[in-house]
Amino acid sequence: MAGTATVIKLSSLTKRYGSTVGIEQLDISVASGEVFGFLGPNGAGKTTTIRCLVGLLRPTAGQVRVLGLDPVADHRRLASALGYLPGELRLYPELTGHHTLRLLADLQGAATPRRGELCDRLGLSPADLGRTVLEYSRGMKQKLGLVQALQHDPELVILDEPTEGLDPLVQETFFELLTEATAAGRTVLLSSHVLPEVQRACGRVAIVRAGRLVTVQTVAALREARARRVRLTFADGLGPRPLGAAERWSPRWDGDRVVLLVPPDELVTALRDLLTLPVADLTVEEAGLDEAFLDLYRTPTPEVRP
Amino acid sequence: MRSRFPLLWLALHRRRRMLVALLLGMVVFETLIVVIASTLSPGQLFAGGGRTPPGAFKAFSGSTGDVSIASYPGLLGAGLVHPFWIALQLTVIGSLAAAAVAADVESGTIELLMARPVSRNRLLAERTAALAIASVALNAAATLVVAAGVALSPKLHHAVSIGGVFVAGLLGCAFALSLTGPALAVSAVGRRKSQVVGATIALGAVGFAVNFVALAWSKAAPLRYVSAFHYYAPGDALAHGTVPWAALGVLTAVGVAGIAVAFRLLARRDLAP
Repeated sequence: MAGTATVIKLSSLTKRYGSTVGIEQLDISVASGEVFGFLGPNGAGKTTTIRCLVGLLRPTAGQVRVLGLDPVADHRRLASALGYLPGELRLYPELTGHHTLRLLADLQGAATPRRGELCDRLGLSPADLGRTVLEYSRGMKQKLGLVQALQHDPELVILDEPTEGLDPLVQETFFELLTEATAAGRTVLLSSHVLPEVQRACGRVAIVRAGRLVTVQTVAALREARARRVRLTFADGLGPRPLGAAERWSPRWDGDRVVLLVPPDELVTALRDLLTLPVADLTVEEAGLDEAFLDLYRTPTPEVRP
Repeated sequence: MRSRFPLLWLALHRRRRMLVALLLGMVVFETLIVVIASTLSPGQLFAGGGRTPPGAFKAFSGSTGDVSIASYPGLLGAGLVHPFWIALQLTVIGSLAAAAVAADVESGTIELLMARPVSRNRLLAERTAALAIASVALNAAATLVVAAGVALSPKLHHAVSIGGVFVAGLLGCAFALSLTGPALAVSAVGRRKSQVVGATIALGAVGFAVNFVALAWSKAAPLRYVSAFHYYAPGDALAHGTVPWAALGVLTAVGVAGIAVAFRLLARRDLAP
């Protein structure tokens, strides 16, 4: 990121609601032109972080800078360069799609050069736009949400669970739009718990869990570091049994078969221990990216991993 | 208006049917009061048993002075402090004050609005303007109906001046403002519509009850100063035709102070569902 302008900078960002911690000591930087993934299970603090970024929430401690501005103090200047799709998109049910887009464009106070093109590509016909939002399906609301976030061609796009409710064809169009946005030099923050979409769209990923940052890595590095899936079949028909030191890899038993996820740097030691048991068959393969993420989600803290 | 003041337009547009119904209700109700007042004399209505109404009934004629409900100004004043009139006012104030901030926070739509280059001050200013327009329209409807009745009925015109009707209308606007300020302040910190509507109803209902008790029970008389209904006296305005500047000032000051507090509270709060 050296030499590249920082678009988002979170320094020790903390947000508490009374005694409840929303996010704690979050440090993240996103460079201009990046598609940055923000991953975590539900309740991890993703939406809280995003609301701090767009100035809806005031941080309890720490600092937020977006495009060099304070999202609360410089809200109006920042918001004019921002496109935002909330995770829980709420619209006015009695307004038509057309009225909704016009209202939000009026509030944005900017031209909307891409509205028509986006509606066409995402499959929102003039007839759809003439109906009230009350009549919209979840997917149509999400399409409208994407159009309102992108219609003014913002410099920074923040999308919270953007593919929620979209059918596979529209998801394809969404990823095309992301590619075009980055090609045009836009910066995108994409929050999700859908791993394949992050894998596909993002260069770097921050993973949060229970309000804390677990790791920030490139998707490629995360793949490299992911665990190995070790499958063992025992020959003696005795079923589940203690695995000694390998118990720490959360074995999942199915009769005489067991599956473990072992970090790559401990694989040889683990196999050496396991092969002292009456093993009839053994396979080792790379765990899927989803399992790697789940492993990070589950681990109490990354530092104390065995 | 839609593109220049989208937040104001949105607040009124979403409640347009309710507002039209309330305006019609106000027109019909005040017409009824005017017809009754011009058809039956107040003496026939209230002194049939040879007794004059108790002093506390002044609470129902909108008077803090000497205007009895058994008089034309008192009877017309009763139409401007009647529970139905109060209910219409509270409905407008409660619903539009709730719509100012709390309703959008509750529904989650605040996220879409406030992720735009829209300041919190602008949000509240446009929403306050929407409430002011609706309140003024409601009071104007009541005032115009009563004014028309007074102009058309010689009996009423003899007892009540047109100027007095407009002073009563002005006081009605100030009364609405005095409830609007606190209701907006609740909305500015609230997360639910019901909090704002509840607070508005409590202010109106408790205010009326306190004023009535203060008029009925001499030991509770000092309490009347905390009720907006002590300052809102349309019966007196209709009888005397003069602007009660002190009362008008108190009602306006309470409303303006409430609005100022609302701006301050909104600037400090988190805006998320």
